[in-house]
Order: sequence, then structure tokens, then C-alpha cells
Amino acid sequence: MNLLQSTLNNAFISISRNKLINFLSFGIIAFTLLIFGIFNYLSYSLETFANEFSKNIEAIFYFKDNVEQPEIDLLLKKLKESLLVEDVTFSSRDQAEIAFSRQFPELKYILSEFKTSPFPASIEVKFKQEYNIGTKVISFIEDIEKLSIIESKQVNLDWAQKVMAIKKFISLVGMFLSMILIFVSAFIIFNLIKLNIFYRKEEINIYRLVGATDWYIKIPFIIEGALLGFFGSIMACGLLFITLKLFPAYATFMYNIFKDMISFKNIPLILFLRLLLLGTGIGLLSSYISVRQFLKN
Amino acid sequence: MIEFYHVFKQYVKDQYALFDISLSIQKGEFVFLTGASGAGKSTLLKLIFKEELPSKGQILVNSSNINLIPQKELYLLRRDIGIVFQDFKLLANRTVYENVAIPLVVRGEKKSAIDKMVIKVLAQVGLSHRKNYFPTHISGGEQQRVAIARAIVGNPKIVIADEPTGNLDTELSIEVFRIFEKINANGITTIIATHDLHLLNMFPKRTLKLEQGKFTSSTPTGPAEVTL
Repeated sequence: MNLLQSTLNNAFISISRNKLINFLSFGIIAFTLLIFGIFNYLSYSLETFANEFSKNIEAIFYFKDNVEQPEIDLLLKKLKESLLVEDVTFSSRDQAEIAFSRQFPELKYILSEFKTSPFPASIEVKFKQEYNIGTKVISFIEDIEKLSIIESKQVNLDWAQKVMAIKKFISLVGMFLSMILIFVSAFIIFNLIKLNIFYRKEEINIYRLVGATDWYIKIPFIIEGALLGFFGSIMACGLLFITLKLFPAYATFMYNIFKDMISFKNIPLILFLRLLLLGTGIGLLSSYISVRQFLKN
Repeated sequence: MIEFYHVFKQYVKDQYALFDISLSIQKGEFVFLTGASGAGKSTLLKLIFKEELPSKGQILVNSSNINLIPQKELYLLRRDIGIVFQDFKLLANRTVYENVAIPLVVRGEKKSAIDKMVIKVLAQVGLSHRKNYFPTHISGGEQQRVAIARAIVGNPKIVIADEPTGNLDTELSIEVFRIFEKINANGITTIIATHDLHLLNMFPKRTLKLEQGKFTSSTPTGPAEVTL
């Protein structure tokens, strides 16, 4: 317990020693994580929007002409077993012809021109109305469409798919920017720890000579890095909360356009948890690398 | 306790800091290591606590071959050795008490045990009244006594001092040497590097003299009778 306490003390002493530098690095880490948080939030909002949009999805898959019944049965079985699917209805070529005749009796004469039904066999799939399955449904539909027995599909998901495309683009841009900024943060923490190691060289030497283990010397620096990341991410969480709450008030016009897509009212807790984990993780990893490089025996 | 077998130490090619050193120091012995500056005294001491490695030869400390002690287990060797430096090596931002407590803190000792041990050794070196002072607020002699207290607080088997009186006047030096005598009287093997002839003659102990990395004379006990 005493060992843990003195290790933590050393880490806090080190942070409090260079207040200005540490405050600046908190700021930079916070800014980095804020950018990450904003993009994450936009991506989350758009996905939620697309999911809402894609509720009550129904898709019709049309089979190719030469498809055998066992192949159709196999697909039907697969669809019925899927957790996403609510109901599946198979419609043979003849059934399709009957349905057409019923729906459009005035056009019935056209069918007499054909020896066999001109309509393809099809299956109609109703997906479950569960929240948040939109993206899964879209990729599920795409997978079915790729099967060799399927000729074409009919599904009204254009809007949702467009929103998902925007979401993907925003995610990519966010990821790219975040990667650069995360690298910058990691580099800052790496160098701060390096500076502290050099600053405390004499002290480290004394610890070694009196019989401190390697980890006793290294752990305070690693904890220091993790704390820098953690405090930076707390700052980022605060800034993100303020940004998301204040943004609508200052940008009414934007808000009106996107108010359905981006809900500023519900900020998911997981987003803050992600920021905390990411910030602490960056601090931990970069300080560990720094310690490995500059605290060799 | 400490054995050197044909030990060589070379920092630069064709120049030996230590040349073919063999020696044996028994448990509880008090040994002076003497010689002019650059004779190899500090190098020899550093080899004992593995701050340096020999270029050739074998060194046994507490029956362990220091060449074979892995880096991650080095702390175990160091916990058996208390080291005192000429420049004290105290942490300026820690009080006397905190400086002395360092070896116990790094071992994870309980606060009550640390308190007991630190207070005991501070009394031994006559510094109980200075425990809350910072090193910069006490005299050189007191700083050296803090360093000695830090070296013995962990109950080491060996105490090594490299020119412990180099920065002190004669009166304080005698005082410091008397403390080392008391430490040795408790059965702790004590090795002191010094070039202070006056003190060597005042404290008749086994003396090993180094010259350009080689032993030139050795007196078993009694007055050193060495000239530099």
C-alpha cells in the first residue's frame, strides 16, 4: 500500500512540478479529443438517423429464370433463421401472374401472349422493427443481392443509404483527422515524459543505488502519462458537452437544416467513456514508449 | 564477503583503470582504500555495487558473482549495500527525514516501520533535531551524516563510502569517521575510499593502496603508514 502511495505521489509531484507545460499539454490533448468526439458524435447521430429511417424495411428479391426449387428453399430457410427477419413470403412465377391478373384485370390480355408466366419468382422479406438494425439490414440486403440466384432486388432504402454514405464519409474524415491529432498528443506526452526523466535523472540514480526495482522507477512516469491523458480527456468531455449544447443556440440556421439528423439533446454516455479511455490509453502508451526508450538500465 | 579475482577494468584501449586486482574482504571488516586521484578507488567501489562491470575477471559479493546477476535482480544486491558519496547525493526537495527514508520507501515498508527505523538512525548520526530540515538548510557535515543515515537505514551488510570527507574540514571528518567506526562495530563490512593520510593514521585499519589501477601496498591492521 505504501509502495502504491509513494508511486502515485511521485507521479503527482512530477505533474505539479511543471504546471505550465502540463496545462498546455492538457489543452492540446483536450482539443485533439474534442475533434475526435465531435466527429464521433456526428457519425453516431447520422447512424441513428439512418436507423430510424430504415425502420419497417421490406425488400423483394427476384430470382433468375433457371433457379431450381431446392436453391430457393435453401435461401428461404436461411432468411427465416436470420435474427433480422420478421417474415418471408415466397411467390412463384405462377403466383406472381395470378397476383398481376388480380391487380390489373384490364391488362390480363397481355399475359395470354405468353406460354409461361413472364414474371420472375420472388421472395418478400419483412425485417424486424427493432431500433438500430438499419446498417445491419442494409448489409444483409446487399449480401443477399450478391447471391448468384438473385436477379434483382427492390427496396426503398435510398435515403437511408445516402445518409449512411455521408456517415461513412464523416467517419473517414474524422478518423483521418483524429489519427493525426492523436499522434500529435502522443508525441507531446512522449516528450513531456522524456523531459521529466532527464529532469529527475539524479533522483532516478539515487533510487537505483538504494535498491529500487526497475518498475518502482518506471511506473510513476507511466502513471504520469496516463494521468495527463486522463485529465486531458476530462477536459475534452467538458468541452464536447459545452460545444454540443451551445452549438444549436449559435447556429440556428444550421440547426434548422440538420435538426432531424443531428439531435443535440441526446449525447450518449458511451461517447464520453470512449474519450476517457482513448485519452488515458494515449497517455499510457506514449509514456510507456518514452520510459522504455529513455529509462534504460 | 567481497572477493575480486584478477579483475581488470578498461575504459579506453591500452589504458587500465584497474589492472589485475585480486582481493578478499571478510564479513565485518573495516577497510580503507587509498591512493591519489585517478588511482582507481572509485572504479573499484563501483564494481562492488555493479555500477560498472569488470572488463575481465570475477567479483563475488555475498557469494554472488556480480557478472551473473541479471539487471532485473540488481536491486537485491543494492539493498545489501549502503553507499555514501563525496557529494552526498541528497534530494534537495525532500526533508532530511524523507531523504533517509528513501531506501525503505522503495522497498514498500510500512509507514510505522519506516518511522521507527529513520528516527533510530537519525539518532545514531546525531541528527534527530534536523529531521524536518531540507538539505540546503543544514551544514556540509550534517548533510554527509544524512547520507550515512540513508546508507545504513536499510540494515545493509556492506557500507561503501567514496571520499566521504572530501568536502569536510578535519574536525567534521573525524566526526564522520567515528560514525563509520560505530557502524562497523555493529558487524557491517565497511569500505572507505579516502586519500586523507591524517585520518588514515588516526584510524588504524586495514588499508589497501592503489596506484594507477594496481595495488602497491596493503597493511593488515594498525596505522596505515602509507604515503601518497
